[in-house]
Amino acid sequence: MQKPEFKPVSELTYNQAVNELDTILRTMQSDACDIDMLATYTRRATELLTECRNRLTATDRELQSILADLQQ
Amino acid sequence: MTTGPITLSRLNRAIAAYLQQPSLTNVWVVAELMDVRVARGHCYMELIEKDASTGSVVARMRAAIWASVYTGLASRFRKATGREFATGLKVLVCGTVSYHPAYGLSLVINNIDPSFTLGEAERRRREILEQLTRDGIINDNRSLEWPTTALRIAIVSAAGAAGYGDFINQLYNNPSRLKFTTRLFPAVMQGERTAPTVIAALDAIAAESDQWDCVVIIRGGGASSDLQAFDDYPLASNVAQFPLPVIVGIGHERDVTVLDYVANMRVKTPTAAAEWLIAHNEAALERVRLLASEILRVASDRLSGARTQLAYLESTLSIAPKGAVERATGRLRQATASLGSIGVRRISPELARLDHTVTAIATAQTNLIRRRNDHLNAIEQLLKALSPEATLRRGYSLTLFEGKAVRDAASLPCGAEVTTRVASGVFKSKVID
Repeated sequence: MQKPEFKPVSELTYNQAVNELDTILRTMQSDACDIDMLATYTRRATELLTECRNRLTATDRELQSILADLQQ
Repeated sequence: MTTGPITLSRLNRAIAAYLQQPSLTNVWVVAELMDVRVARGHCYMELIEKDASTGSVVARMRAAIWASVYTGLASRFRKATGREFATGLKVLVCGTVSYHPAYGLSLVINNIDPSFTLGEAERRRREILEQLTRDGIINDNRSLEWPTTALRIAIVSAAGAAGYGDFINQLYNNPSRLKFTTRLFPAVMQGERTAPTVIAALDAIAAESDQWDCVVIIRGGGASSDLQAFDDYPLASNVAQFPLPVIVGIGHERDVTVLDYVANMRVKTPTAAAEWLIAHNEAALERVRLLASEILRVASDRLSGARTQLAYLESTLSIAPKGAVERATGRLRQATASLGSIGVRRISPELARLDHTVTAIATAQTNLIRRRNDHLNAIEQLLKALSPEATLRRGYSLTLFEGKAVRDAASLPCGAEVTTRVASGVFKSKVID
């Protein structure tokens, strides 16, 4: 079984990351999912999820600070 | 007539006496004021008359209002016209011609009709406004759109004027910390030089009009009568046609000049001009703040949408691998179950074929062995036919000498003992010859 090539999450945009996450989850939920790949998919999906969550949190913080600037 | 010289004082007294006539007493005179000044309570001035078309002075006389009446007249005049009794005004005064031997001819004023001055100023303003209307420019500056932010302010004022200082203070200490840029284009803000110097300042601003958002014409303090210097057609025409919005803050509560009609914005004081500018820019700032909060709202919505989506994906992720394993296990179980039936269906024919094959192989082997046996028997028969025993039985014999077959009789010495083998038995003999 050939292992799929994953781009480093830091090189993905948020949308790319979420789309990939969505695609992986669909694959995992479908019969097309290869059990050999399950661990790989899960690890990748978790990685994407963490990255997305981190970015959301960072963006949220940034927004708050921008607003604080504007309200000065 | 007396002959011989007389003293100057006598001459002058004679003139004074001569001038004491009813026709020169309590005469109402229309004139323009010049060089009005107050000394020891008395008010001194020049009365002049200008040619209506050329503007050149065609008549002139000194005049005075004695302190005893001046205080009352001045306050009455101020109350009625809102102006000081000062240079530049057109007035209707009542006075008596008097000739002082030492000081000469003057008109001693005992009354003033303020309504004339009021009407005169009003008439002059109306004329200018009518002219501006005919020119089709009266609303030009007033209809200019203000830029969203007006932070670059060109100021026309007198450098040391209190009003300028008030304006700058107010502007630079604004609570919103708006960053204004200002430059003073100095002009004389009272008297005859007002209009030409203000026009020159406006020209200087117009030459670099891309650097400024608006013009502020301000002055503070000063006698309000000086305002009439601003009732000037060339100046009003300049302001009306000025490419940037003009704020005028030169008047007081009750005074209106032509500039107040043509300028984009009229305010009462320099401080009010600064306040207006601050308010205008704060409105822009407020719009920016609104936009900012709108941006934040949209961004927050998007963010919370993303968070919801991510939470959903996360919950999916927590069950997906287990699900996949369960489905795989299920498939495996199903496969195991179906394997039985598949076995029967697929294996029986195979087994039958196998049985057949075994039989075929056995048969083939038997045949092969039989054929090999026959072959071997044939060879054996042949071998038997060719053996020495068979030859001997046909009557041939074999003679051996010293253990070797004798093929040449000459090789046998005389008397040699040889052994001869026949089909049945062996005998010895001696060579005789």
